[in-house]
Amino acid sequence: MNLCLPAVFLPLLAAPAIGVFGTRAQGAVVNLALNVIVFGFTIGVLFEPGSGLIHADDLGMIFGILTSFVGMTTALSNLSFVWSGNEVLSLRRWRVYHAMCQVVLGSTLLGLYADNIGLLWVAVEGATIAATVGVSLSRTASALEAAWKYFILGGVGIALALFGTMLVYLAAQPALGPGLAAMSFTTLGAHVTKLDGSLLTLAFVFLLFGYGTKAALVPLHGWLPDAYAEGPIPLTTALSTLMLNVALIAILRFRHLMQANFAGGGGALQPGVFLLTLGLASLLLTAFSLSRRRDARRFFGFSSIEHSGIAVFAFGIGGPAAIFGGLLHMLVHTLIKSALFQALMRAAALRGSAAPGNYGFSHLRGMIHSNKYAGWLLGGCVFALTGLPPSGLFASEFIIISQTIQRDPYMSLPLGLGLVLCAVAIIRHVGPLVFGHAPPHTKHQKAGFGINLAGLQLALGFGIAFAMPWFLLNALSSVAAALQ
Amino acid sequence: MNLDYPLAHLMGGVILLCAFSMLSQRRLAAMITLYQVQALTLSAAAFWQGFAQGAGDLYLTGLITLVIKGILLPMGMRQIVQRFNMVRAVETTMPVGFSMILGVGLIGIAVLVVLPTTVSAVSLTREDLAISLSVVLLGLLVMTLRRNAIAQVIGFLSTENGLVLAATGMPGMPFVAELSVALLVLLAFLVIGVFLFRIREHFDTLDLVGIEEIERRGR
Repeated sequence: MNLCLPAVFLPLLAAPAIGVFGTRAQGAVVNLALNVIVFGFTIGVLFEPGSGLIHADDLGMIFGILTSFVGMTTALSNLSFVWSGNEVLSLRRWRVYHAMCQVVLGSTLLGLYADNIGLLWVAVEGATIAATVGVSLSRTASALEAAWKYFILGGVGIALALFGTMLVYLAAQPALGPGLAAMSFTTLGAHVTKLDGSLLTLAFVFLLFGYGTKAALVPLHGWLPDAYAEGPIPLTTALSTLMLNVALIAILRFRHLMQANFAGGGGALQPGVFLLTLGLASLLLTAFSLSRRRDARRFFGFSSIEHSGIAVFAFGIGGPAAIFGGLLHMLVHTLIKSALFQALMRAAALRGSAAPGNYGFSHLRGMIHSNKYAGWLLGGCVFALTGLPPSGLFASEFIIISQTIQRDPYMSLPLGLGLVLCAVAIIRHVGPLVFGHAPPHTKHQKAGFGINLAGLQLALGFGIAFAMPWFLLNALSSVAAALQ
Repeated sequence: MNLDYPLAHLMGGVILLCAFSMLSQRRLAAMITLYQVQALTLSAAAFWQGFAQGAGDLYLTGLITLVIKGILLPMGMRQIVQRFNMVRAVETTMPVGFSMILGVGLIGIAVLVVLPTTVSAVSLTREDLAISLSVVLLGLLVMTLRRNAIAQVIGFLSTENGLVLAATGMPGMPFVAELSVALLVLLAFLVIGVFLFRIREHFDTLDLVGIEEIERRGR
């Protein structure tokens, strides 16, 4: 039995029902229950990866479990978010909100498990629409503006990605014949040298800009900080971090096709240059714009751009070790970032409201005076994001830098500069955020249930990098070797 | 005489012409009409490709295009234009003549990029692809040159027509109907988005939260 199918379609099919029936609290509980079931399915996928259009390869399995795990912890913190009543939405909008959480989860999993370039595209498109609806939910002028920006930029990206998808089909069609074979990653990978190299290069440019928009690479990043700053935080920020992974993995898979075609003499260009340029641009732009942000959600949105850039840079360097570093970076970053957003949500709730607009750094400072545990957790997450040891990101960034020095020494200078600048910009906030003077009338409060889970997630982000279990290490290295 | 080639080209040419003329239009109504003509031609092209390739699902694509993009979407957009009284409300960011020169340049780029890279493909596909890439780029140009939300949406719709044209021209590509439906969902959300956006702009002084509070209590 193919367990990928229930993992993908259970949330997608449940979404319309959640969107029509139930109260706000019921929606949150059902949302959590579905996430737990889907987490079970994604674990089961390890034993039943299935075959055909939707099946899990090693990469899909690893990131599938990560996605559903983060989805589960997000759904749990969503419970306290919903019950706190901070976000004022009508009942209809709460239903839509929970339905969209499920659509994002299902489409993200579909994007990871799809063995078809058309299906991958549909998944990314579905996730985009759901996230945009989520951003627009509060209907304030700034939320609608952010949603519009997201829609227009995301729409253009999606259009470009579709054009690229069709070009890949056209490149493969003479060799593999018309039909599904020319759209499946498995068969494309097996016959990669027979593909038309020049068409594949053209396709890659479109795909890179298309999925690059979804991965928020500079210069296509404009939507991300705005979108992260608006809408209910569990959907638009915590879950959206997962969508970046889908886009990055899509870029990685297409990069592999092109690299293998180049190596086999198929006539494609080397993809490295494109990826290195976009990756470095993202890193450096973030390095210079981080220090000017006053809103925490926007700030950490920019930091997501940085980490996307680092992953793409690693893919551009190429070779099994750098790809391994890039994938590890994505894994750890997802864990840390979503733990951070959950901690941020608790922190804002402790200061009165977790609705958008209450995330200014000045408003959140001195968190330790509101709740010790939340303060330390928030500080730990922000510190982990800098990539300084003992953060898990240090391990992946170390691998990437050492590979860069080995393979492309000149590139290591701008990379190192960008990393240091970003780390400095982020670490400046740790002190004030945790230990600073709290705003007047701050009382010590309880943090609410389930906050331990965010702490666990942060610990997992550390553990996975420094004490990786052997089976994960084996799987990740074989993926990296296969996709080099 | 084999009509595959000339007819497919004729329709591709009409679609390109519509996309190009959008650049010069100052009135929203005219842009919508051009879009409608483009969508109708596209549905004819899809039917023709379905007939020429003997592919059943292209008929489905053609039918969806005809009903939704050729009839329903233009009707909806005309409603929005009338309701919010923006008949003459197109602002362009640069002179029309200059934008048309840019448009010609983009078509040139599309042809120069596509034709040399697709030497091995069938010639019908090659030229279809050059035309559809031009339509895609022209649509993006319209989006960047117009400030008005609905004009931007029309630009996006035109881009999307170019994509469907490319998909119908691909020999034996699976999922064409499914992909075009997926695109349509996106378009529907865009048009609804414009509607909400305009509502918000028009009733900015009205506190929507208050309304929702009442609505919730009413339940």
